[in-house]
Order: sequence, then C-alpha cells, then structure tokens
Amino acid sequence: MDNFEPVIVAFCCHYCAYTAADMAGSQRLSYPANVKIIRVPCSSKVDALHIVKAFEKGADGVYVAGCLEGDCHFKNGNSRAVRLVEYVQKYMDEIGIERERLEMVMMSAGMGYRFAQVATEITEKIRKLGPSPIHAAISL
Amino acid sequence: MITAERKPLEELIEYVRPYKRILLVGCNECVTVCAAGGRKEVGLLASGLHMALLKSGSAIEIREHTLERQCDPEYVDELVSMIDGVDAIMSMACGCGVQELARRFKGKPVFPAVNTKFMGASERQGVWAERCQGCGDCLLGKTGGVCPIARCAKQLMNGPCGGSTGGHCEIGEDVDCAWALIWERLKELGQEERFVEIMPAKDWRPGGGSGPRKIIREDLAE
Amino acid sequence: MQNIQPQYNNKVLVIGGGMGGIRTALDLAEAEKNVILVDKAYAIGGLMTQLDRTFPTNNCDLCTLSPNLSESSRQEFIELLTMTTVKDVRGEKGNFTVLLETAPRYINLEKCTACGECHKAYPECVRFTPGLDHRAPTCMRYPQATPQAFSIDLAKCTDVEALMKSCPAGAINPDDMGRKREVHCGSIVFSPGGALFDPSHLDYLGYATQADVVTSLEYERILSASGPTMGQLVRPSNGQQPKKVAWIQCIGSRGLQKGAGQYCSSACCMFALKEAIVTKERFQDDIETTIFFIDMRTMGKDYELYYLRAKNEFGVRFVRSRPHSILREHGKENLTLTYSAEEGGANLTEEFDMVVLSTGFRVADDVKELALKMGLELNADSFPKTDGFNPVVTSVPGIYVAGVIQSPKDIPETMVQASAAACMAGSDLGPVMEKVEREQEPLPLETGVVGEEPRVGVFICDCGENIGGVVDAAALAEYAGTLPHVAVAELKGHGCSRESMQQIQETIKAERLNRVVIGGCSPRTHEAKFQEVIRRAGLNKYLVEVANIRDQVTWVHANRPQRATEKAKDLIKMAVGSVVRAQPLADHSLPMNKNVLIVGGGITGMTTALQLANQGLKVYLVEKSAGLGGLATSLRRTLEGGDVQAFVKDLVLRTESHDNIQVITRAIIVDHSGMPGMFKTGMQTGKQMFYRQIEHGVTILATGALPNRPSLYLLDECEAVSTQRELQTLIEDQPGTVKAWDNVVMIQCVGSRTPDNPNCSRICCQNAVKNALHIKEINPDARIFVLYRDMRTYGFQEEYYLKARELGVIFSRYTLENPPKVEATDQMVNVTFTDPILGRQITVTANCLCLSTGLVADEDSNDELARIFKLPRTGDGYFLEDHVKLRPVDLPIPGFFVAGTAHSPKTIRESVAQALAVASRARTMLAKDSINLGAAAARVDKNICAACLICVRSCPFGIPFINADGYSEIDPAKCHGCGMCASACPAKAIQLMQFEDDRIIAKLEELFERNIA
Repeated sequence: MDNFEPVIVAFCCHYCAYTAADMAGSQRLSYPANVKIIRVPCSSKVDALHIVKAFEKGADGVYVAGCLEGDCHFKNGNSRAVRLVEYVQKYMDEIGIERERLEMVMMSAGMGYRFAQVATEITEKIRKLGPSPIHAAISL
Repeated sequence: MITAERKPLEELIEYVRPYKRILLVGCNECVTVCAAGGRKEVGLLASGLHMALLKSGSAIEIREHTLERQCDPEYVDELVSMIDGVDAIMSMACGCGVQELARRFKGKPVFPAVNTKFMGASERQGVWAERCQGCGDCLLGKTGGVCPIARCAKQLMNGPCGGSTGGHCEIGEDVDCAWALIWERLKELGQEERFVEIMPAKDWRPGGGSGPRKIIREDLAE
Repeated sequence: MQNIQPQYNNKVLVIGGGMGGIRTALDLAEAEKNVILVDKAYAIGGLMTQLDRTFPTNNCDLCTLSPNLSESSRQEFIELLTMTTVKDVRGEKGNFTVLLETAPRYINLEKCTACGECHKAYPECVRFTPGLDHRAPTCMRYPQATPQAFSIDLAKCTDVEALMKSCPAGAINPDDMGRKREVHCGSIVFSPGGALFDPSHLDYLGYATQADVVTSLEYERILSASGPTMGQLVRPSNGQQPKKVAWIQCIGSRGLQKGAGQYCSSACCMFALKEAIVTKERFQDDIETTIFFIDMRTMGKDYELYYLRAKNEFGVRFVRSRPHSILREHGKENLTLTYSAEEGGANLTEEFDMVVLSTGFRVADDVKELALKMGLELNADSFPKTDGFNPVVTSVPGIYVAGVIQSPKDIPETMVQASAAACMAGSDLGPVMEKVEREQEPLPLETGVVGEEPRVGVFICDCGENIGGVVDAAALAEYAGTLPHVAVAELKGHGCSRESMQQIQETIKAERLNRVVIGGCSPRTHEAKFQEVIRRAGLNKYLVEVANIRDQVTWVHANRPQRATEKAKDLIKMAVGSVVRAQPLADHSLPMNKNVLIVGGGITGMTTALQLANQGLKVYLVEKSAGLGGLATSLRRTLEGGDVQAFVKDLVLRTESHDNIQVITRAIIVDHSGMPGMFKTGMQTGKQMFYRQIEHGVTILATGALPNRPSLYLLDECEAVSTQRELQTLIEDQPGTVKAWDNVVMIQCVGSRTPDNPNCSRICCQNAVKNALHIKEINPDARIFVLYRDMRTYGFQEEYYLKARELGVIFSRYTLENPPKVEATDQMVNVTFTDPILGRQITVTANCLCLSTGLVADEDSNDELARIFKLPRTGDGYFLEDHVKLRPVDLPIPGFFVAGTAHSPKTIRESVAQALAVASRARTMLAKDSINLGAAAARVDKNICAACLICVRSCPFGIPFINADGYSEIDPAKCHGCGMCASACPAKAIQLMQFEDDRIIAKLEELFERNIA
C-alpha cells in the first residue's frame, strides 16, 4: 500500500482543541487532510462506543483532543477522557487492533501550532502502521 | 444487586464463531447498574465481536437488544419477534437471565457473555464489593450489620482468626477483616458483650446445602 | 429642504460609522440606550471594509467585520443615517442640538434589494471608489455593505429614465431631495476616523507619475478578493505579477515630508508587515519583499512575535533606511530606489517592480472643520486635545472621541476607545432609564418538523478566495446536491453577507426546507449568525449545522487542492448526515445576577468600579494587597505632565466612599463556580484569611502586571544603576543629586524583546523620553545617552521624542547581538557601546545608568487565577482575549473581561481607556434581565433509565439526582452541557442535546461510507 492515505477521526473539545484547530487555520498552518474533526463540547463527551464504532466503520486512527491538564472548562472532563482512552485501548488489545491507533492529546485553545503538529505526527504514525486490520478486512 | 463482569473477548469469539447471525441481549437491571451488560456494553461487545471476527475473515451479523429484565418470562417474550433467523443467542445478563433465555428458546444455543460474580454493593463510582452470599439464614442482626459469611475469607462464625492484622485480612492489604469491622461496629453500638458470645455452628441447608432453593408465596402463586 | 422635526434628547449621537463608531453604537444599544449613528458614506464600515486581512491573525477582514455590520443596522436602539453630515452642534452636555443633513441617495432603501441590475446597465454612474476600485458601479463599496443598497451618482447619468427602468424593484428615485433635520442628544461620540496622507505632491516618490508606486491601502485593495483585481496581485502598469516589492515606512508621519504630521501613525509598521507576510504567503519564493523603515514599531500585544515571524519564517527583508527617491529610468519598466546604507552611509540603488508607500493618518479637512464647529480644542496637527488621564474626554464636556481622531492607532485600540466612549457618553444620559417595551419585529412561528421527511438545504460559501481559491466551491455545491435528503444545494459568495443571508431565508421558505447545512467557516464564530438566519425563516434555530470547510480545509490544506476538495466533501456529507437527525430544541434561561466582581484594585479596577457603581450596580472590588492603588502608587507623573499621585488619591477616595462599591483587601481568590450571569467566587480575606463567597453576574480581571527586574547590567549590584521607575522618584525627590550629574545613560529593552521575553513592554521608550526631558529640565547641561533598539514613541509621544533630540539627548542604536557593556567604577558606571553612525566604540562614564526594564505578567497570580477561572493566557502569561482585533477586552469565556496591564503592558491613559471599555462591555451584559443558557443540556429518557447513579456520581457540577419517580433528573437550567453523564450512562438513557449519539455516529457513518467503499 504505497499510496495509503489513512482516515483519522479527531474528537475535539469545543473550548480548547477545536479552537486550536481554528487557530491553526487562521495561522495557515498546514497539516495532513487525513484528519477529520468531530466537535464535542468536552473530551469527556466522547463515549467508548464512539471510538469503537469509528474503528468498526474503518478508521485507521482515532484521537481525542482535550484541554491541558487542569484547564478543562468542565473541571475534570479531560482527565476522565484520559482514563476512557486507556480503557478502550485495553479493549482494542482484546479485539486485536494496535492500541497505538488510539491516542489522547491535550492542548490549549491558543496552540494552533500544536494542533497542526499533533495532526501531522499522528497521521505519520498511522501511515507507518498501515491500514487498520478492520479497514483492511472491509476493503477485501 | 447482582454483579458481573464481561468475559474475555477471546472466549466469546469462540462461542459465536460457528454462527452467521446472533442475537446479543442485554439487561437493564443489575448488570446495567454495574456496567457489565446494559445497552452500552451490548453496543461495545457487538462492535468488538464484529471486528474480531472480521479480522479472522468471518462475517457475523449481530442483532442488539436490551430487555428491561432478563429473568422474567414476560420481558423475554419481547425477543420472540427477533429470534427468527438467529443461529444463537448471547446474553449479557447474570446467570439467571442466561438460563431464562435458554429455557424460553428451545433449539437455540444460548451463551453467557458475562461472568456473574456476587451480590454486592457499590463502594464508589466504578467499584463494587461482595456483601451477601444468600445463606438463607441472615445473622446480620447479631454481627452488627457486617456479614462474616460474605466478607470473612474463612466464613468464620467466631472470629477473628490469627491472620487479622491492623484491621486487614491476611489474604491481602486491600481486604478488610470482617471480624475487625464487626468489632468496630459493636463498639459503636455499645454492644461489645456480643463479641464474646459464642455463635453455634452454622446450618448451611438454607444456603443451598439441601439442594436448589425455591420461594413460593402462596398468596401470589397461581 | 424639508422635514425639520424635533426629537427627544435621551440619546447619544455617534458621528462616524467606521469600526469604532459601530462598536460605540452597539455597546450603547446593547446597554439599552438610544443611539443615532451618522456616517457621510453610503455604507458604514469605514476603512476596515477596504482591508484584505488584519494583523496579527491575518484573518479576512470582512469575515470578522460583516456580522458586526449587519448587527448594527438591525439593532432596535440604533437609528442609522448614512450619507449624512453634521452641519451644526449647539448646546451643552445633557442637551445638545445637532443639525444633520442627509444627501440624496436617489435610491429608496426600503425597495433596493442590491440586485446590481442598475450596475450592469449603467456602470458609468460611478460615484466614489477608494484607491484602485474601478469596478464598482452605482457603487456598493463591498459585497456585505450595510445598508445593503446601492447609491447613484446622478451627475454622471445621462439617461435617468432608462436608469430608472433598469431597476426591477423600482427603487431609483431621481427626485430624492435629501433632507435636513435637528436632533437632540445628551452626549456625542466623535469617531470620524482618519484620512490617509496623500503623497501626490512628493515628486521624488513618484506616486503621481508612476503607476507601480501605490499606497499601502491601494496595495491592500489589490490583494483583496473584493478589490479591483479580484485578489490577483498584479502591477498596475502592466498587469504582470511583481517579483520584487518594497515598502517605505513613515510616509506622512514623524514630520518627515512636506505636509506630514509630527506624530507617528502607529499602525503602519504592522500594516506593512502584514502586507509583506500575506504577499509571501501567496507567492513564497516567487517574490521578494523588502521593508525600508526607521524604527520598527511593533509595540502591541504579541506584535513583536509577528515581526519576528515576518523576518524569520517568511523571509521578509528589513532595511533600516529612508529611501531618498523612486525613479523610473527611461526605457525601463522597473523602479529604481536610492537609499543610504544602514552603516557607513554609502548611496545604494536597487530595482523594484512595485513600491508601496506606508502612508500615515491625518485629520481630514472637513473633520477638522466639524471639530472646530463643536468647539473642540485642537492640537497643532488638528487632532482634538484630550484629558491627561482619560483619552476619550475632550475639552468640551459631553463630547467624547474614539479611534484615530484621538490619536493614530490600530483596530484593537480603536475598539477599546469606542467602548470607552460608549461608557462615558452613556453615563451622561443618567443612570435611570425607563424601560420602554418596544415593538420587536415578530419572529415567524416555528414550522413543525418532527416526523417530516428531512429536506436539507446546503449552502456553500466561497468566502472570496478563502475557500473558493483552494477548492472548486461550485463543484462542492453540486456534490452536496447528490446527497440523500438534500433538496437544494447552492453556492453563496459570502454566506455571512446580508444579501446571502436574505437569499438563504428565501430559499428555506420557497423550498420548504427543514434542515440547513452551511459549508463555510467555524461554527465557533458563525453558528449563532446562521441559527438566527434560519430562525427568521421560521425554522427552529438548532436545525442548522456548519461544516467548517475553511478553517479546517482550505486554510490548512491549500497546498493540496485535490485532497482538500475530498475532505471538504467529507465534512459536508458528515454535516448533512448529522443535521437530518437534528431535532428542534428550546433555549433555557435564568435570571441575571447584576453584581460585579472586579479583581485588582489599581487604577484600572477602580476606574471600572466607579463607572459601574455610578450606574447603580453593586461592585465588589477585590484586592490582593492591603490597599488600593496598585503599581501607580509608585509613579509620579506622565509623559504629558499629569500628576499621577493626585489622580490615584482622588480615585481611591471616591472608590472607598462609594455606597455601591465594597472594597475587599488582602483577598485571595480560591474557588469559582457557576456560569455567566450567576457566578459564585470564594476568597480568603483579611489577616485571618476568613473564607467568604460572593455571588455575581460578571467578572472583570484588572490584576495588573509586575515591574520586570532582570539581573542585567549590574542592576542591584551597583548603586549607580536603577530602573526608570526608580529614576523618576529620584528626579522628583532629590533634584539636587540630578543637578550634579554629568552623564546619564539609559538602556532600552532590558529584559524585553529578548529570546526569554520576546515581546515589547511598550511603555519604556516614552518612559525614557519622559525622564530624559525631566533631567534636562533640572540639569540642562547633563549629557544623556539613550541606547535603544527601535524607538517606539508611537502617536503623539513622537513629539516628545523629537523635543528630547532637540534638547540634545543623544539616541544611539544598539543591536541584540551587540549589547552595551557595563563596568562599575567607584560610584559610577562605564558604559561601552558601538555607535552605528560613527562606526566605533564609545565609552561613557555615567553618574547614573538607568535601565528600561518594562513590565512582565504576574506569573504566579495569573497562573492561579487562570486555573480557577479556566481562562487562557498568552505565551508570556497575560490573559488572552476572545478576539485580538474586535473583542480586545472580552475574554473567551462569556461573562469575563480583562482590562489594564493584565491584558498587556500599557500606559495609564491606555489602562483607563480599557477600564472604561470593560465597564461598557459589562453593561451590555448586565442590561439584560435573564441569561440565555442555550439548549445544550443533557436529557434523560426516563423509560430506560436504570437509576444506576453513574450520572449522579460523574457530573462535575452535581446536577443530576434520582427523583421521587425513581429515575435520574437533570435540570436543564443548571446543566453545563459537558456531556460527561451522557457518555458514562450504561443504559444510554442520557443524550446531550445538539450532540446526540445518533448525530455523532451518523458523522462517522457518512465519513466512512465515502472513504471505505
């Protein structure tokens, strides 16, 4: 798969990560088009089901992006999201999907640069991993 | 409440591998409350099974449904319309629910998706602990409201044993010694004298020692 | 002339409908005060509508501005009079009588739909075009104009009959006579904006003769998507793309040319940087950009970082020199620039394709005339004189100024002064205003959509070049038309323009649409706008979804148009999939708590407190230290000579004795909860650190900044070394010591503009000039050397800089790479520096070495407060405002505001202006009696709730509870809308409205159906 273009879903909290993505936009910071953002009010709104469904539909990578540690607009939503991501990673082990395909990242609203950097790094990582086994199986 | 935990996915995959179409049934009672087999867990397991099988090259169709309570036949009737064409049933309820489904749907294999664990209470969010073993002859009135059958590793009627140190059971630092708890509780109640009363040997027959148990309420039973 | 009718006088008259005037009018209207907004142009918006992008975010101007513009003409408290001039002003504060004259537009505003038919038929009827705009017809200045109507120049029209026939709406009225009328008002805000310096008479610059010599505004028009070249950068002389562009700074500023003002125009450096960056962004290595400058004045918040980016990331070239001529040699196409080398002074020549003159601001002649008519005292440059501590107060009580007319400035500072002027002018109307029940334009009833088959309308914005320049927006619209449930898919130029919004509403009605998707910019900024659009078309406002194909696609994937198009399709498909599952929702609201919490008792905090308290609001003024006054208690006088101590004393006295202000000193804020309009903040106060809690509706941060004190240049090691602040005290208290000095050396930018603290501290240059002048006053023979990197005496400070040079103060430039060296010799300091003009090292033995150390953010306090209040900060620790351009004192969390040096370093006058501005902004919120909480609340399905308590335990705010009926109940008025309970619920019995699971799953399904198939 030389021309493999992974599809990556980024669940972004409204107050920090989504704003950071807008900042990346207004600063014209380029990052791979593979990342598709789904806006949620808080990273803790992301349900294990949303992540698992994303992989089931064929996502090659998923990441949940919330506010910096201690900066959650809703007190502790981001630290709950961290625990959720770890929990789902264990389930991915059971299913047989590399846990590296799921990640929790944190950034502040002003970090347009970090948003672009994270999007680039995760895309590169997933590109190296290749298509997710589910994606590969669906495409067969 | 009855508590349960999902079985390892590996085990469940082997159950369903031979089938093309299964019905995955959750229960909105105890297993929902202990986050083992409610609507959400049904969804997660369906996706997990689907993906795991897809990886190994086999496709499976999973229908999802969650019943109000799996251990009552009337609720189970809801499944009748969904059962056609289903090769097997997997239940996310406790053992009672699994058996009720098996009784109801003759000719369909029924598999448990969870391990039923114990009757317990919620200590805090996400943590459940054993509190009752259904011995059929409750003695909590004598032990200050702490059950030595469910909470003492040796089920001692006259404890504690020599393994009790600093309030902990010898099997682990994270296990309270039931008899230490009983002592604390009796002290609070000013009933220290109860502690030294010798309790007679327990009659285990009401707890299942004389075979499967049944309750019949004459006024209700038809 | 006709229609002379009297009016009531509980109004504010705002003269000038530029950005500033609009902000003033909006602030007043939102605080429920009546406004008459007059502008002599046929559409409001002023200079900003002609800009392509704004620094430092390089956002498209019209995108940020146009929502404000349409808001302004719609507001029920604002009477908008365009093409109107002020003829006469009589009376006094509280009771002015103003004669207004409205020129004929020859178009009936009620009828004109801005269809453009007249323009197509009679393009020759051109009235006025800024710069190079030779396209405009009957002349609408820009696509999002307010009012949304054309204007006709009857003089240029030969066949009036035919012109009238060309209008399908019958809106052209050649008999329009215009009218005169008298209005009464309690106060006046004068914000006519600035004119730009016209360099035509300076033949050595070739502006009048060379097509490729343009002003910076003309260059901006060439770059602009709505400009004459549709955003193509081309040389006016030959239509080719230029390869080398030069900017020349300070044209018409700093007294450098014939007819130039003595002042610095303040905004031109950033303006040139922005134009150079945007140019580089578009053409990268294909173009060379060079800026010729004297001092780079990037003293605004984070502006220095922008300068560094221009230099280091974009490769803009900077030459510190004043070109002495621009010529085109015979037979050559290019322009030849002659200038002196930075060092050594040799004459150099260099060829350029285009030269941009960074022309400064001036006061237009008609504005000066009007100012005199109003009785305003003017300075030598015809700007109104203003109060030493309050920049919006003029010599005439009841008349306030804001924006460039006060002194040249950029947009954020204009916005601050506009709000400040609104605060002052609004106060003149008195605190008690009878609330009149007004007739509001009734909203149409909401159409029932539940159970109806979804009919989605998709509207794709090309946003000028912003979207359309990268992806084929028409093809996107075509694609959207093929999606299930989509009934209509259309391309819109600027979806946020008045015209487009009108069209969208009409399409919704005509096509009986029940869901809408906008493919455009960020829902963060524009969702509310489109919610309102569909609501006016009779749909519940939550039936719209915005696909962010600009910020998330075209702005970030511009280099890969194919992939960008694919992604844009994905986002639109996802939005359609999600919106068909959207359900109508109702907003929740709660009563507003009208108390105000102000954190910080310095000049800023006290000024805001007094303004709000005078309006009858209860103010809690919380100060960390034992007394009021802040940093200003250690300052003596301002550059302009104002007595700081007297000013502070008076403020403290008035604050402490005000009935509506409760001052709480030695208070440390420890916790905070609630939401805008109903906050609770806990603090420990007094020596015993007692805990108390305050309930309030808004929170204002005026926590100030700290004096920087880096261990550099022997500070705190040698007695002869001090900071500017210490020197100021010394000059005041021990003039005898100063009299005995022979040499004084000042070093600028100590601890600022360095890799550790890259920003400029803004106040130090004027501080150095102030102290130098003061020393010269006491000891005219003292030799004063100011070692600087760029002298940043912006605005009228430039005149003091000039005066210092006239008095013999020596200003010598050093570079970051080659800083001065210091060495202590008994009681004195030897300072060695390289003089760039002499080209050699000089050592001065100074009696006093004074360091300009500037300000730094109060890291500990700000960090603590930012955590408690959940507020973002800039890289250097100041609070980060919601929009650096248009909302400079609003923080991103509604109900929070920032003012003074907690925002960024600034002078006392600038802090006072911000203090007044936040008072105005806070009032706009506190004028409302209830708070709209939106609809994003969690909802429980009681039929499937298992009463497991997981939601009760996971809610960070403790809102859900198990009710008497045995299921979880969540009060929508208390729910904060995070969705934590919804994701945790094991029975999936909770849904967060607007973010329901089926909508999120639908997005995933749509995304992967396209990508994995």
